[in-house]
Amino acid sequence: MNIRCARPSDLMNMQHCNLLCLPENYQMKYYFYHGLSWPQLSYVAEDEKGHIVGYVLAKMEEDGEDNRHGHITSLAVKRSHRRLGLAQKLMNQASLAMVECFQAKYVSLHVRKSNRAALNLYTNSLGFKILEIEPKYYADGEDAYSMMRDLSAFAAENKSDYQADNMEIKSESAIISQC
Amino acid sequence: MPPNNSLPPKENALFKRILRCYEHKQYKNGLKFAKQILSNPKFAEHGETLAMKGLTLNCLGRKDEAYEYVRRGLRNDLKSPVCWHVYGLLQRSDKKYDEAIKCYRNALKWEKENIQILRDLSLLQIQMRDLEGYKDTRYQLFTLRPTQRASWIGFAMSYHLLGDYEMANSILDAFRTNQMKGPYDYEHSELLLYQNMVLAESGQYERALQHLNKFQSQINDKLSVKETSGEYYLKLKRFLEAEIVYEDLLKRNPENVMYYQKLIEAKQLTDPDEKVTFYDAYKKEFTKAIAPRRLQLTDAGPAVFSGLVDEYLRHGLHKGIPPLFVDLRSLYIDQSKSDAIEKLILQYIENLTSKGTFSSDPGEEKQPASALLWAYYYAAQHFDYKKDTDRALHYIDAAIEHTPTLIELFIVKGRIYKHAGDPVSAYQWVEEAQAMDTADRYVNSKCARYMLRAGHIKRAEDMCAKFTREGVPATENLNEMQCMWFQTEAAAAYQRLHQWGEALKKAHEVDRHFSEIMEDQFDFHSYCMRKMTLRSYVGLLRLEDVLRSHTFYFRCAKVAIQVYLRLYTQPLQDVPQTTEPDTENLAPSELKKLRNKQRKAKRKAEQESALAAQVQVKREQHHKARQQQEQGDPEAPQLDELIPDKLARAEDPLEQALKFLQPLRTLAADRIDTHLMAFEIYFRKGRPLLMLQSLKRAWGLDAEHPHMHDCLVRFRGWLDDNSDGLNDHVAAVIAKETDPMFGGRSAVQLSQQYLAGAGARAQQCALWAARAHRRLLPHAHAAALAAATALHYPDTTIQGCVEVLESLRDGDFGPCEKETAAYMDACHAKFPYALAFKPPQPLELPNHDDVPLKLKDLAINN
Repeated sequence: MNIRCARPSDLMNMQHCNLLCLPENYQMKYYFYHGLSWPQLSYVAEDEKGHIVGYVLAKMEEDGEDNRHGHITSLAVKRSHRRLGLAQKLMNQASLAMVECFQAKYVSLHVRKSNRAALNLYTNSLGFKILEIEPKYYADGEDAYSMMRDLSAFAAENKSDYQADNMEIKSESAIISQC
Repeated sequence: MPPNNSLPPKENALFKRILRCYEHKQYKNGLKFAKQILSNPKFAEHGETLAMKGLTLNCLGRKDEAYEYVRRGLRNDLKSPVCWHVYGLLQRSDKKYDEAIKCYRNALKWEKENIQILRDLSLLQIQMRDLEGYKDTRYQLFTLRPTQRASWIGFAMSYHLLGDYEMANSILDAFRTNQMKGPYDYEHSELLLYQNMVLAESGQYERALQHLNKFQSQINDKLSVKETSGEYYLKLKRFLEAEIVYEDLLKRNPENVMYYQKLIEAKQLTDPDEKVTFYDAYKKEFTKAIAPRRLQLTDAGPAVFSGLVDEYLRHGLHKGIPPLFVDLRSLYIDQSKSDAIEKLILQYIENLTSKGTFSSDPGEEKQPASALLWAYYYAAQHFDYKKDTDRALHYIDAAIEHTPTLIELFIVKGRIYKHAGDPVSAYQWVEEAQAMDTADRYVNSKCARYMLRAGHIKRAEDMCAKFTREGVPATENLNEMQCMWFQTEAAAAYQRLHQWGEALKKAHEVDRHFSEIMEDQFDFHSYCMRKMTLRSYVGLLRLEDVLRSHTFYFRCAKVAIQVYLRLYTQPLQDVPQTTEPDTENLAPSELKKLRNKQRKAKRKAEQESALAAQVQVKREQHHKARQQQEQGDPEAPQLDELIPDKLARAEDPLEQALKFLQPLRTLAADRIDTHLMAFEIYFRKGRPLLMLQSLKRAWGLDAEHPHMHDCLVRFRGWLDDNSDGLNDHVAAVIAKETDPMFGGRSAVQLSQQYLAGAGARAQQCALWAARAHRRLLPHAHAAALAAATALHYPDTTIQGCVEVLESLRDGDFGPCEKETAAYMDACHAKFPYALAFKPPQPLELPNHDDVPLKLKDLAINN
């Protein structure tokens, strides 16, 4: 499995991966919007044939200078490629880029209240904290946890030449967040 | 009164308000003001007002009236740049870009320096890839507005896209030094990287490297700086510096495969043993990283492989990593590696069963109980890969017995049946898996795909519906979300079921997604110049240029072309009158059954139409909501509804097939199927030079290809039959160009030689060769049949046998019922799980929603 920054030519295959794995889907234009606004922030995991087996689609929320933060629009890893730690590795790469390119202070995301596996990943392996509950956030009426992760550690490491952090995945299965 | 384009002050003020209303999307008000002008008989024919009224109407979705007013306005004032511009905007909203460009050009004739029109023109030119025109327009915009950022960027970009890197670079340099003041922000950083890209594309790596080094402190995107400088160092053979860069990059992301490869290049390692040692260092440095451990296995030679893969497998089985097999599968192309793994896995299973450890070493620590489960799971996939269905099933059943709740096991069991040629059991096992975790869309999608492979389209749609928006049929939501995997699979499933219209509908839907994605780039032409994400923008343009090379397009185009070819050869009959079944001769019990069935069908039809009505209402609401949202973004032109029955009765199936083929001829020229499909179309159109061209291209790719060879034989025959009608020049060209392919041989000779050559070695070749042979020499029936039905070919597959069987049943070899039955038996003995060769028996009671299975759905399709 190879992890690298996404290119425009990956975006269609990310859409395909999203449609296979997640209930929240977007038209191609929305992927283009991400890829052409914040080209550094989205990452893919691909297998040896170059098929995308996981991705993170991310953006910046630019509401004010002192509140610059990244946001995870969508994160998925195919069930056939779980427990390789891909979700965590994708997230860490995206987070580093948010700090480096856009001086993000933190990164936020939404997750379905019922999605225990994802919640577990975000809290235990990635250091996200629940900020609040957003009632009826999803189209089908489900509530979302609004979560955030402080990125100041990345900023500090960034200055002293970044070392990939080696946090290990502990959760049963990694997956799924939605904007 | 004669048209006059100048209005008196009062009316002129009103006209300006129309323009303002248009800009602010207050269309109703705009129409009101237009009415105020036009209701004055003196200005009833005022061209620009009429044109603006039309444009406003267009935004309200009244397209026909819009054209009427705009054209009338234009007729009344042919010298008005406003009228021409408006006409251009209207055509643009209708996606008639070529027409729109002409209108803008006319508008510019009357007002050369209109910035807005020039900008609009430049957008259309880049969208249509009129790069020369784009350059001219960007030049004009630059000279008119030299202080604007976008003027410089567009000007430079236009040269870059034409390959004039020097000019592009000079413009960017001048812009950077004169215009970019102030803080070095993200945009500045992106601009520098774009300029660097221009330098690199000019091939001047030394200069690009200097540029990068000079400005790197002003660039935020450190990853790009490192990645590109690494490239440059390698290109310039400055290996030591390259090494440092890639070492650094690995610290950042030790899972990037390319970094390891580049590092090997920088260290100039070629010997596999050196590479194995190389990875050892990174295994130690990045203990949690998978890449160095896995890449090492690829390079490892026989002496060390077994020990390394032992370590890798134990780690995976101990931890319980489900994708272990998927991860290692690509090593299997090397038979000795596959054998080594098999030996280890069997040894693990034996020891885990008896002692709870991987090896018989008494000192080894006991493994958790799950290790045996994962070893079974691995073994099942291993033997499935080796097409050993019995052993694969043995191990997966052992695994399921060990842990009956693990979803992955049922998915693999389904896959084993799929590979063994039993798509029905396959989808049923995946359906089990799906039922165990209904919240997982991946399993849901997989299950739907297996259902499509088994020909159960309705069931697959119902499966997908669990994750699509409520109140809308699944297919509609999937189409809206551009879910191409489903649509291509469904197209192929319909094709196998001979539901030609439905297959075409799905293929057209996929094709429309591609058109839509081409349209998507429009807004980014101006957006990216503001955002300065120019590298990605160029990436987008290049992606769009080859968009239809995507495999989804290839697959749907192939279905569409095959279906159109079939419909050309065997057009659909007119719809038969539905005849009432003869009820008089039915036994009372049967009559009751029939009535029941009819009642059920009626009820179902009623339910469906109720749902359809609901959907219609929802769709309208949705549409309204969207219109209000986008207010006046001129709505996309309404595409014709795709009606399966109409599609299947196309008047010109070959022309339709050509439309699907066209993009493939440039974008998939490396695939032999492209040229074979082209040949089949032109053969039916009787176009010898185009047949020749297709054949030559196919021949160049694979001179032994069975279908290609059949085309060759048929072309030879066609020339024999039609030589009289050919013009001398054409005949001379064909004679010259075909000589290397025909080598002076007749159709019969070609066919005979192929049968004896490639036909003796491979199943596919034998079938095509035998079929051609029998077509040319009907009396050679027995020999042809023997070649086609032989099963000793090393490449014999279930799919290959199914094709032979179909060919026998289609009568390609004349009447041969006895031989067909014997062939079925032989295939059944060879592939006992494959449904296609099982003696006919009631399989399962077909669900009334489902189309009964036909032979073709039973074929496996990988």
